[in-house]
Order: sequence, then structure tokens, then C-alpha cells
Amino acid sequence: MHEADIHDLSDDADYAASQQQGSRSISRCGSDKRSEPSGAEVVFLKENVAIHPTQYASERIRGRLRLIKQGACLFMTWIPYKEIGSGGGAFGHSDARLSDKDRNLYSIRAVPVTDIRSIRRHNPTLGWQYVIVVLSSGLAFPPLYFYNGGVREFLATLKQHAVLVRSADDANLFLLNDFQDPLQRSLSSLELPRAVSVAPTSTSESSSSSSVSSERPEDGRSYSEYQKHGQKSNDPARDLSIQVLEKFSLVTKFARETTSHIFREIHSDNLNTNDRKNQAPIVSNSNNDVDNSGLESASTESFVAADPIEKPSCRKDISAVKKLPLQWGVLSLFIFDKMTLVWGKPRQSPLGTEEWVTFLDAEGRILDSKDLRKRIFYGGVEHQLRKEIWKILLGYHDYDSTYAEREYLSSMKKVEYKALKRQWKSISVAQAKKFTKFRERKALIDKDVVRTDRSITFYDGDDNPNVMLLRDVLLTYSFYNFDLGYCQGMSDLLSPILFVMEDESEAFWCFVALMERLGPNFNRDQSGMHSQLFALSMLLELLDKPLHNYFKQKDCLNYFFCFRWVLIQFKREFHYEQIMRMWEVVWTHYLSEHLHLYACVAILKKHRKKIMGEEMDFDTLLKFINDLSGHIDLDAILRDAEALCVCAGENGAALIPPGTPPSLPLESNLLYSQQDEL
Amino acid sequence: MANSRNKNINAKLVLLGDVGAGKSSLVLRFVKGQFVDFQESTIGAAFFSQTLAVNDATIKFEIWDTAGQERYHSLAPMYYRGAAAAVVVYDTTNQASFACAKKWVTELQEQGNTNIVMALAGNKSDLLDSRKVTAEEAQVYAQENGLFFMETSAKTAQNVNEIFHEIAKRLPRAQPPQNPSGMVLMERPPVNGTSSSCCS
Repeated sequence: MHEADIHDLSDDADYAASQQQGSRSISRCGSDKRSEPSGAEVVFLKENVAIHPTQYASERIRGRLRLIKQGACLFMTWIPYKEIGSGGGAFGHSDARLSDKDRNLYSIRAVPVTDIRSIRRHNPTLGWQYVIVVLSSGLAFPPLYFYNGGVREFLATLKQHAVLVRSADDANLFLLNDFQDPLQRSLSSLELPRAVSVAPTSTSESSSSSSVSSERPEDGRSYSEYQKHGQKSNDPARDLSIQVLEKFSLVTKFARETTSHIFREIHSDNLNTNDRKNQAPIVSNSNNDVDNSGLESASTESFVAADPIEKPSCRKDISAVKKLPLQWGVLSLFIFDKMTLVWGKPRQSPLGTEEWVTFLDAEGRILDSKDLRKRIFYGGVEHQLRKEIWKILLGYHDYDSTYAEREYLSSMKKVEYKALKRQWKSISVAQAKKFTKFRERKALIDKDVVRTDRSITFYDGDDNPNVMLLRDVLLTYSFYNFDLGYCQGMSDLLSPILFVMEDESEAFWCFVALMERLGPNFNRDQSGMHSQLFALSMLLELLDKPLHNYFKQKDCLNYFFCFRWVLIQFKREFHYEQIMRMWEVVWTHYLSEHLHLYACVAILKKHRKKIMGEEMDFDTLLKFINDLSGHIDLDAILRDAEALCVCAGENGAALIPPGTPPSLPLESNLLYSQQDEL
Repeated sequence: MANSRNKNINAKLVLLGDVGAGKSSLVLRFVKGQFVDFQESTIGAAFFSQTLAVNDATIKFEIWDTAGQERYHSLAPMYYRGAAAAVVVYDTTNQASFACAKKWVTELQEQGNTNIVMALAGNKSDLLDSRKVTAEEAQVYAQENGLFFMETSAKTAQNVNEIFHEIAKRLPRAQPPQNPSGMVLMERPPVNGTSSSCCS
């Protein structure tokens, strides 16, 4: 336990563990015979071979991989260690989230090697070597990670006992059975993890199912196991994604185009039968055409984890794919896989009124907040709904409040706002003369509001009352949160909120809610900004090491060139309508509270070639990044940010220290230090 | 940093001054010949470059435009470090901004590059009716502190090119290399006893 605690301190626990455990590969292991039929001989044994059912480090399952010879037959087994206290007890700790039953779902029990078609070896630059074993049936086991190395010995042992050939096309692909079927050959050469994967509850049965259809195993339980962890992808996804992220936009584009192509073909046949899952038809707009719904059906969730009952349209799509000529079948699997792995889903059309009410019960409570947040994450909301929904996203209103409760709260808050505003409204000229801080604060706000979004109709022209409202709300806030006061950038954050709310008090309370999270951005000591820029640096190191190294070399690791992006959440980088969209997506905190940091990474990655190719130094980089304003494709960046977030998974989340804005501050950080400044 | 090669000189220049004094407006007038009534506040910093020909050399200014608010003061050293020139800007209609300018001058004298060429710009000189700081007052201060002074108007372009030209002329022609232009964000603000409660 002690050992486990130590390991738990580091994300590299598994490495540390594997070093301590030592690497053994033995040709014979008598002590292990207990679970084997008599007469069996263990010809290969490797400890600490793991399956990663999810991207969470805590849910990795370690076990023992063996090749067992019985008579003329060679079998492969992989049995997970038991929980703490037995077997791999020292490592059981990190498996704690999964029950034995869960873990056993993944057991590989005596698969005849003759049933194995191929083994692909992966040597990711980050992380452990792993192999993917594909059966003749087309099924694949989840990747097996060799924490202690030993892939080479594993393959060598196989070669001794079975016919193993290295593929002529790919040095990392090893074929165990010759096969004639060109489709299978294509599949094999594509052979992307998860394309045909299955939770191996009952290996022997499932291996008897037929090839392409095996992506939909009969065994519902094992499927739901997989589904439980969703499409978030497991580690190979991350490894693969990290490799292919370089070609991010290219492949994404390719996948998107080919997908839409395929589904356009399918839909020309199946148009009328394509029900949208769980959704009232979206009223409003033209985006929701055939093409788009085709893409949506192809989206990861419905495609991968399609539930045959709930999503008949998907089943149709898949069966239609199967009927397509060979090349389409192969391609669809390729796409299917890509989307499973790393690609952000196609953006949806914004949430409209009719669909919105389906998220509410009769009294106005949100039935499933996660569902709603997810929906908004992928499409935003139509403008007329923002007034209502932003209050909830920002936390001013609770998800489970009723219409009546929201209305009541708003009226109470209006009274409170008036009282707050009176605090400074009642300061007389004489008093103001003796109140330097007030005068200075007011002057600062006055200077900023007249130059905040004046090109937007809502704020343009002389003596625009909305500019005065902006001033009043900011000044009131600086009294409400006197310690934090006013800081440049706040007017940028308030402007769209006031524009949406069209109400002084409501805008104020929404702003208060936003500042609960973003207030630390304006700390005097810059701590909130430092922590975010630091997290950004860690994320980029994880997701694009070469670019990170480049910044290091150029002494740019402070990531200060991203200051503006982070401080005001990209407000200056997008047009008004787009920033509202971006914010509502970011505010869902659906995949991460820190999607904006992944968006930073996505933009930097998008321009990595130019940045490195032109050898930009800090100055040029800052200029380049400031000049990107107005030229960033929001949808593309959101998709990329989503994908990066999924790729980084728990490792990414672990790099972002607790309390990093916009996470709620840790208790001890609640107070802003008071200094003699406004 | 400034260095000369065939009389091509790169010079890092930083603009400092109170919120709303017109730093960004000055630089945009100089670099792009533009002026907008409501120039948005600068978040973080902005970078521009502009080349000027003076009698004996071509000067390429690498201009750092900074955020004015005191809250961001701790970031300023990042920008003025290694600067060959600084334009400290105040608003002629705002006495407090002049006080703020003086603090910047002091800070640069104490912490900036020793050879730094400093200019004091009294901006918004077109707003005659609301003037609060006289040219005389500023001129006296400038002389005492070894700066050169001009009143400018980004709006009318008055003296904008002139002030940058004047800096270009005063830049040492052969300067030893300064700090590299790469920057390290300081873990904590520099000892800033003199500037803790500066402008705004």
C-alpha cells in the first residue's frame, strides 16, 4: 500500500512500478500451472501487460500475458490481476475504480493462436509499447500494453510456435494466418485500433462471429461495458492521435468529406427513414439538411456505440455501408475509426426553441443537465435563447430551478442590485472629493466603456444609453467586489452579456457569476493568469512536444503571447456573434472546464508550421498571434479543441492544477489580497 | 536592442503611460497612419514594427505597446527590458496621467537600459479646451530628467512622425548588444517600491 501511495503521486506511476517489478520473460513457469489444464506448458509469460479500457490512468488493468502450449496447440491468455492484496497487489491500488467483475470482462482466456490473424506492434514515442491482436474473425482485442517491455520476445516466441510473417508493407505488422479475402487484407493493413474492437467477455464465442459485422457484437453486456467508457477513446487513441495530430486538419477534412460523401449516397436511398435520435426536429434552419444529418449519424457516438433499439437510423447506415462496394466498406471503417479516435464531432446547428423545451420538465427544470450541456457544447444556442440559457450556464440560475423560482430569484436580485448600485450612486460630489479610490476607479471605467465594442450597433453612437449601463454595471461590480475592483478586460467580458440580457440587473448577476470563475484572471499578482499559462504550457508539451520545444528554444515558454486569448476568453479574437457562440460552448464545461486552453493549443498547432518555419521569436510571435484576430475559424478550432481534449484525456486534466481558473478557486484563495491600488 | 550593420539599425522601442493616454493611438498613427476615436484598450501587449530613414541610417523600430493599467504594471519589465528607446505618454488633459508618466520615467531610469533614449509625449494636444498640463511644466520636467519632449496628437497626427524621427536620430549608432530580445516572465514583479501605487 505504501508503495502504491508513492506511485500514485506521479503520473508515471506505471513506469516506476514496472521498473521495480522488473522485467522477466521466462520460458517456463511452473507456479502458474494452477489455472491451466494439466499438460500445458507456459512458453511465454509477461507480467504487467495492461489493458486501458478508458483514458483514465486509474482504470488501467494490469495482468499477466501468457502463451501456453497444450499438445500441438498454442493458446494466448491474458488474465487481469486481482484487487489489492493478491497477485499484482502492489499495483492493484490504481485499479481501484474497477471491480474484479469489470476487470474480468477483459480477460482473454485461451485463444488459440490459430485464430489470430495479425498482431500489430506500436511503438509510440510517448508511453509504452503495445500490440493489437486481431483475430481471423476481424475482431480485435483492446491494445495490450507491455509496461515491462517484452514485445519482441512475445513475437519471437510466437514465431517459434506458429507461422508468423512480417508484413511486406509494414514492418510493425505481423501476420499469423494467410488470408485471401481482399477486404480482410485491407482491413488488416488499415488495422486501426477500435475499428473492430470488442470487449472480450467471451472471446471464443465472439470470435466465431463474422467479420465486418463484428463491430456490433451480439453480446450486449460486453458492448455496454465499452459504451460505458464512451467514445472517449483509450490510450491507443491518444497515441495514434498524437502521431496523426500533425496532419490534423488534413485528415479531419478528409474524413469529413468522405463521410459526408458516403452518407450522401446512403441518404439518397434512406433519406426518409433517417430518424433523428431523441430530438424534436429543429425548427429553424437550413443547416439541418440532409448532408448535415448524414454527418451527424456518422458522429462518433451514434456510430460506434450505436444502440440497435434507440438508433435505427444508424443501424441502417451501417448496414448500408456494408452493402457498398468493397472500397467503401474499407473507407467507412477507416473513417469510423478516425472519428472514434480523435476527431471532434461535426458541429451541430444551434439549439432552437422547440428542442430547448424538450430539455425541460413542465415546471421548467432541466431534466438532464449533462445532456443539455453536451447539446450546447456541440452547437451552441440560438440567439433568442441566450437570455434564458446563459443564466443557467453561468450558474446564476440553477439547472434544477423552476420557471417560478428563476423568476422569483431575478426579482429578488433586482432589488439587491439596486441597493448595490445606490452605494456609489449616493456618493455626493463632496464625498467623492475625499474618495480618491472611487474617483480613480470611475475614471478608469469611464475610459474603458467608451471604447468597448463601439462598432456594435448596440453600443454605437453618441450618448448611447447602453454604454452608460455598461459603466453602471462595472462600477457596481467594483463595489460588490471591492477587493478585486475594476480591471481592464472586464468591460470586454461584460459587453456581450449586457447585449444578451438587455437588462441591467440580470447582466450584473450574470457577470458576477462569470467572475466567480474568471475573477482570478485579474488578480494583482497575475496568479490566475500564471496558472493558466502554465497549464497551457504543460498541455502543449503533452500534445505537441516539438512545438513546445521550439518555444523553449526561443525562450517563449511563458506563453505570454496567449495572454489576451486567456484573459478575456478570446473576446478580441472573434466577431461578436462568434464570441457568444464560443463562450456558451466553453461555459458548458462539458468535456473540460478548460476548453479554452485546448483551444489555445489547437490554434497554435494549426499554425505550428508557420511559427517554426519562419522561426518566429517572441516579438514576431506576439504580433502574429495578435494579428490572427478575426481570422480564426471558430468551428474548426472548437472541433480541434474537443479532439485535443479527448486525446489528452486524464493526462491532460492532470496537468491543470486544481483551482486553475475558470475552475472555482480553492478555499484558501477566495480572498483577493488588498493592496493600495484601485 | 539596437545594432548597426550597413547602417541598418533595429531598435526596440516601448510605449509606457497611463490608461487612455493614447499609447496605442500614437503607434497606430505612426505605423498605419490611422486613428479611431475609440481605440480599444490594449490587453497584454501589442507589437508593431516600422522603418524610418534618417540621414545616415535606416532604423527599424520594433515597437511594444503595453497595457496601461497599474494592475498590469508587473508585466512591464518584460517589455522595456533591453529597449533602446521608450516613449512615455501622458494625456495633456489629465494631470494624473502626467504624474503617472513621471513614475514611468523614474522606473526606466532605475531599471531600464542605461543608454535608453527616452521621449516624453504629451498627447491629445488638439484638445485645447480641456488642457490640464501645460507644455512649460512638461518641458521643465523633461529637461531636468534628460528626456526630450513633444506635444503630440494622434488624432491630427501632429508631431507623431516627428517624435519617432527624433528618437531615431538620437539612437546611438553603434551600440553594444543588449539583452537578447527573448523574454522571461518574471516570477514576481521587480522590486517596485517606487511604483506600487502609480497611475490609475
